[in-house]
Order: sequence, then C-alpha cells, then structure tokens
Amino acid sequence: MTARPPGGGQRSLGASLLDDVLAETLDPAYAQAAAARASGGAATGGRRGRGAVLVALTMVVAGVLAAVTYDQAAARVQGRQEIRAALVDDIRAESDASDELAAELEELRAEVTRARDELLASSTTGQRALDELARAEAGAAAVPVSGPGLLVTLANAGSDPDDDPVGGGTEGDARGRVRDGDLQLVVNALWAAGAEAISINGQRLGPTSAIRFAGEAVLVDFRPVTNPYEVSAIGDPETLSSGFLASPEVGALAVIEESFGLRFDFSREDDLSVPAASTPELRAAQPVPDDGDVPPTDPATGD
Amino acid sequence: MIPILGLVAGVLLGLLLDPTVPLWLQPYLPIAVVAALDAVFGGLRARLDGIFDAKVFVISFVSNVVVAALIVFLGDQLGVGAQLSTAVVVVLGIRIFGNAAAIRRHVFRA
Repeated sequence: MTARPPGGGQRSLGASLLDDVLAETLDPAYAQAAAARASGGAATGGRRGRGAVLVALTMVVAGVLAAVTYDQAAARVQGRQEIRAALVDDIRAESDASDELAAELEELRAEVTRARDELLASSTTGQRALDELARAEAGAAAVPVSGPGLLVTLANAGSDPDDDPVGGGTEGDARGRVRDGDLQLVVNALWAAGAEAISINGQRLGPTSAIRFAGEAVLVDFRPVTNPYEVSAIGDPETLSSGFLASPEVGALAVIEESFGLRFDFSREDDLSVPAASTPELRAAQPVPDDGDVPPTDPATGD
Repeated sequence: MIPILGLVAGVLLGLLLDPTVPLWLQPYLPIAVVAALDAVFGGLRARLDGIFDAKVFVISFVSNVVVAALIVFLGDQLGVGAQLSTAVVVVLGIRIFGNAAAIRRHVFRA
C-alpha cells in the first residue's frame, strides 16, 4: 500500500484503489530486490548468467504465447468466414432444389390436367363436367387468358427537380405516389365494367387476391409490384372502356391524379395476355361415395 | 539484446510450429498475452530504471499470466467471466500505459 497523501483525510475505498492502480505501475518487488542487492553487495557472475538465460527463456515463452494467440484469433476469423460461405452455398443449393421441385410440380400438374381432360372428353357427362370446370377455372384465375382488352397505366409523379436528394425529402410528397387504394379503385371499376381477367404488372388477380400497402411497396397477393403499375384487363375493349370511363370513382380519381402529377393513362389493346394466378390451396375436399355418384357441390363449404 | 532475440525466436517458433492449444485453454490465451505484456513492459522499465532483477522478472511474468488466466477462469465458473476479464484488462492496461510512459521518459527524456 502506498502512503496516504498528507492531509488527505479519509479517502473512499474506490478512490484509494484507483490511486494505487494509477501510481503503482511498476512491481514494487523490483525496488525491494534492488535495495536487497545494494545492502548485500553485487551479484556473482554465475548468478547473473543464469538470470540472463532465465529472462531470455521467459521472453521466448512470451513470444510463443503471443504468436499462438494471434494464430488462434486469425483461425477463428477464417473459420467464421468459411462457415458463412458454406451456409450461403447451402442456401443457394436448397433454393435451386426448391425451384426444381416447383417446376416439377408444374409439369406434373399439367400432366394431370391433360389426363383428366382426355378422360372426361370421351363421355357427355364428362364433357359437361369439363365445361363446368373450365368456367370455374376461369373464375378462379387458374388458367392464363389472352385476348383484346384495356391497359390502364398508373405511375408515381416524376421526381421534382427542386427536391433535395440528400435531405431525405422523399417522404415529403406522399400524395405523389400511387397507393393501394388507387389500384383497388381501378381494379374494382374494371371488374364492374365487365373485365374477364385482370393482372397488375403480370400478377393475376384471383378471387382471393388482395391489393395492400406495406411500407413503400404495393403488394398484390403478398408479392410486391413496383411503379409504374400496368393493369391489364381482358374483355371487350368497347364495353370495358365505356364502363370504365362512366364510373364516377374513376372520374374523381383522374382529377386527383392530375392535380398531384401522377400518370394515369389507359389504352385499348388488341392482344393482351395475363398469366394464371398462383395455385390456390386446396381447402375443402369430399370423398366420392362408393356408388360413383358425385355429391352435389356446395360452394359455401369452401371456407 | 538477448531478451529481444528471445522474443523474436519465440514468435518465430510459435508461428512455425503452430502448436495445437487444447480447447479449454483457448479462451484464456488473450488475457494471458495481456498479462505477459504487462510483465514485459514492467521488466523493461525496471531495466531502464536500473533496478532490473531477473528473478523478480521471471516470477512476475509467470504469476501474472497464471493469475490473470485464473481470475478469468474463476469468473467463467461464477458466470461473470466477461466482466472479470474486462476488469483484468483495465487494470493491466493502466499499468502497461504507466510503464510505457515511464519508458518513454527514459528514452526521449521527455
């Protein structure tokens, strides 16, 4: 323990501990040994030589210790990188496998459909069932559709040259963006005008599709679609466009969009095609009775 | 001069031989290195002060390394290993700093 500073009074334990740590950086044993040597006379030559060897050996140990620790730390970093690379490879491989399986599923499904159609087409009851199925599939957006129709384009307002690109002012003009509500309005007006099939940026809308807003992105069926939004509607272009334009909501929307600088166009197209929607999950099934009668279908049991 | 040669030889030896360290010892290596650094700086300062003693140096080196590793080991067993290794590093770090400052005063006279 070092001597207390004169007149310092009672120091707190923490303060005196800090004093000790800060003041006593050299091992006091050195001073004691020096004092002992001074009183006992100089060391003999043999002791000195042995001491030098010991010191050198200690330094060797210190060097080995430092080098090994460095090696370990480097190895650990490298190991972490290797593990990371291996995990990334695993993810790639698994996602490739999943893509392959999805493609296989698509193929098998097409095969099943083909086989079913062939079997059903041979009898009149089958033919009737097939027609019914085709109607149901068209309604459920399970098959791709192409034909003439209407292409409605909505786009965000162009960026204002006065905007400060660094200042984070992108949030400022929230009304300059197309919102989920705008798309919902356009889609509903198109359905009302008699559209047979609608897709947004190639995402087919099924009976259970939702158009939502998540942060900055518009989601159609939980998949993001980005600006500009192209809504393709299949149907008779004449009735579609007249019905679409007659809708009062669309008129109001057009005025709003205009005043905020959004792009809102539509054009009649002779050849539009929309893909099939993602296959809906099978939610309800009924066993076929033994006598072969198909039970009456009840759409209300679906959900 | 000989101690410095010893240090260099040790570093080369460690890098070339690349000895495998048992897994249970690995967490205590960094703290042992810090403790060894403290002993080495203390020895260097004592030498410049003219009071170097081989026996004191060797004993302080070994006890520093062992005690530092032991404290951290004990902390690990008690569940405060991270805090205790911080405490050891702080105390040894202050001492290394103080000794380095004393060595600087010897070497540069400032």
